[in-house]
Amino acid sequence: MNRVIFLIVLCFQGLFAQVQFEATVSKNTLGINERLRVDFTMNEDGDNFSPPAFEGFRVVGGPNQAVSYSWINGKKSFNKSYSYFLMPLKKGPAIIKPASIEIDGKIYKTNPVKVTVTNAVQEEVNPYYPQQKTGEGIHLVAEISKTNPYINEPITVVYKLYVSNTASVRNWREMASPKYNDFWSQNIDIKKLVVENGKYNGEDYRYVVLRKTVLYPQKAGKLEIEPLSLDIEVDLPTGRRDFFGRMEYASGNKTVSAGAKSINVRSLPEAGKPIDFTGAVGDFDFKVTPSKTTLKAGESLNLVVSVSGKGNLKLFNLPKPVVPSALEMYDPEHKEKVTTPLSGMQGEVSDTYAIIPQYKGNYLIKPMVFSYFDLNANKYKTINSPEIMINVMDGPSPTSGDNQVAAVPGKQNVVSNDQFQFIKLKTNLTAIHQKGFLGSGLFYSLLIAPFLIIPIIVLARKKKEAIDGDVVGNKIRQSNKLAKRFLSEANKQMGNKEAFYVAMEKALHNFLKAKLHIETSEMSKENIQELLLSRKATPETVQNFLGLMDSCEFARYTPASVGTMQQDYDKAVTVISGLEKQITN
Amino acid sequence: MKKLLYIVLLVSQVFWAQTAFEKGNDFYKKEKYEEAVASYEQVVQSGKQSSELYFNLGNAYYKMHKVAPAIYNYEKALLLNPKDHAAQTNLHFAQKMTIDEIKVVPKVGFSKMINDLLDVFHYEEWAWIAVGSSAFFLLCFIGYYFASQTVVKRIFFFGMFVVLLSMLISVSAAIAEKDNYNSERPAIVFAEVVPVKSEPKATASDAFVLHEGAKVFVLESLDNWRKIQLTDDKEGWIEKEAIKELK
Repeated sequence: MNRVIFLIVLCFQGLFAQVQFEATVSKNTLGINERLRVDFTMNEDGDNFSPPAFEGFRVVGGPNQAVSYSWINGKKSFNKSYSYFLMPLKKGPAIIKPASIEIDGKIYKTNPVKVTVTNAVQEEVNPYYPQQKTGEGIHLVAEISKTNPYINEPITVVYKLYVSNTASVRNWREMASPKYNDFWSQNIDIKKLVVENGKYNGEDYRYVVLRKTVLYPQKAGKLEIEPLSLDIEVDLPTGRRDFFGRMEYASGNKTVSAGAKSINVRSLPEAGKPIDFTGAVGDFDFKVTPSKTTLKAGESLNLVVSVSGKGNLKLFNLPKPVVPSALEMYDPEHKEKVTTPLSGMQGEVSDTYAIIPQYKGNYLIKPMVFSYFDLNANKYKTINSPEIMINVMDGPSPTSGDNQVAAVPGKQNVVSNDQFQFIKLKTNLTAIHQKGFLGSGLFYSLLIAPFLIIPIIVLARKKKEAIDGDVVGNKIRQSNKLAKRFLSEANKQMGNKEAFYVAMEKALHNFLKAKLHIETSEMSKENIQELLLSRKATPETVQNFLGLMDSCEFARYTPASVGTMQQDYDKAVTVISGLEKQITN
Repeated sequence: MKKLLYIVLLVSQVFWAQTAFEKGNDFYKKEKYEEAVASYEQVVQSGKQSSELYFNLGNAYYKMHKVAPAIYNYEKALLLNPKDHAAQTNLHFAQKMTIDEIKVVPKVGFSKMINDLLDVFHYEEWAWIAVGSSAFFLLCFIGYYFASQTVVKRIFFFGMFVVLLSMLISVSAAIAEKDNYNSERPAIVFAEVVPVKSEPKATASDAFVLHEGAKVFVLESLDNWRKIQLTDDKEGWIEKEAIKELK
């Protein structure tokens, strides 16, 4: 019930109330050294307030919210405002753009406000308000150790607040903290502020070190160090004395700034820059230490690559070890033990690599090189680590596969562990530029030769067959051979008249026996002639044969020379072979 | 007379090379590896070679922890005698000292089968097989031609064709294998670290980085650059000085 009434009331409110949302400025014309106050006020509560960008101004205060809510004579009034304090950045006309807010689902906007910024105006002097004098007694100074450092050379910025003996500081607040772009920066905490005495422009001042920062420039060229601005609450003497004659102080606020400083960063010299230079600047020592050098395959060893000393320890990469593929190397664990006093970083950074050898053998980890720029000597220096020999005692040899036969319990498994092979002691040296066998003449001739031999074989056989087929020729050759066989005995007895002719006669008889199948007793001349002629021997040959037989008989009783013997022999050969041809069986 | 002098000179050179080889072996045994290398290299300089010489040279370099020359010489030994088990073993040892681990992408398919068959013998061996089958063909022919029994004749006739076929196959295998051998240009990276570029320019971006001892295959040449392929089929351009070709 209550809720319904409330809702109805709310609706009526909505109907009757006129929503107002407007921007008001404290003044429309202001000097550049003055501040401007902008209020965005509304008479209904809204959400999602979004201020404009305030171009041409810097917001020095705000947004401050103020809400007033009142019932007067039964009439409700609501007022809410957002206030900003703006500092003009440049002279000339400026527009404060509309701000927007969402009230009951509708978006309302303020009207843009036009403001003119003029030259600095003389502030009216208020003797009771000592602000205008504060500048004389309080100074914020940034001291920079070196204005032309090398890249990565540490420089320090020390902020000191000088306070004159007549002024006193109650409190301060940092308005703008410098952002050190293009620098690596490290603030050094100051636990307790210590007031010291010093001189500023020849006058005695007290000062306090507010902040110390170590900077490492990361870029060559002109770099700006942004100012540190402090809003300081100061007590200044008003010049009046109180009842007891003590100085009367008035308090006021003052903004002090150390002012922007620029430094000129030199890049490192190019001359003599090592290839593997990774940007280390300072004074370092480089070490590579393995936890062990003799181990079994599968065990791990730690390889510590460390750089210690003074310099930009956190700002460069450590060299990576290069190991043979038989050693499995895992990603390193990075450790930094670095302290940063005002003189710059010092300590040690290290990478610890876990390395697990996979195979037995001796493996070499190549020497590692670390280069840095020595600021004192003003030149590059290089440290080489010694090479490290890793001796892996046990484990699979590189050639064996992973299918190792499991040993039967209680038995020694004989694994054919391939060992590194010793040199060979015997060799057969040949000339380096030797023509290969393939494609050489020898190759082709050996390849073709059998095919050339084939026709020769075929031809030879053909020839033989032809010879075999020649019947007449064969007969001649055969009878010649026969005659020679019959006459061989006679031939042996050549020169011995008696024996020769006996042998000759015997041969002729034998021939007749073989050919005519007659006995010696039947061998009368007539009989022979008849028989031979009946076998189609030519009469001439028969005559010759008979003549030969006669001469055999005569020769026994007449002397005969070797010449006639030879003649008779030759004649016998022709006659016998002639008969052989002619006689048909 | 002059001829005799030449012969004497030649023979003495052979003997000299032989003694240099043995001298190298002696140095190796005494663990004076640098002297051993010098001695072996002398033999190579004199124009003589053998698989054993390269193997011993590789061993000496291995003992000196010089990865690239060790691998180079083992590979050279294997080129002369591909079935040398000792060289294969020691090459594995040397390869484990290299920095790069390059996977071997297995080739598959019909061409791989053919290549495997071709690789069974060296091309010189194929040539000898061809010559042998040619001689065998002649024998078969003679058997066929002079045999009187029909069965024997048939067997020889069939044998003739088988042998002829084997001869043709081995001749073509020899030629193909030699072609393969000549077209393959393996090389070993000698530079300690060398970037492989995507283009044959010093300013080109690095495709990948190789370390000494890696085996590459040269595909093309352009001025001072060699296009190379790794066993895992990666390709890139490398400077000529960084590698040393095996052939």
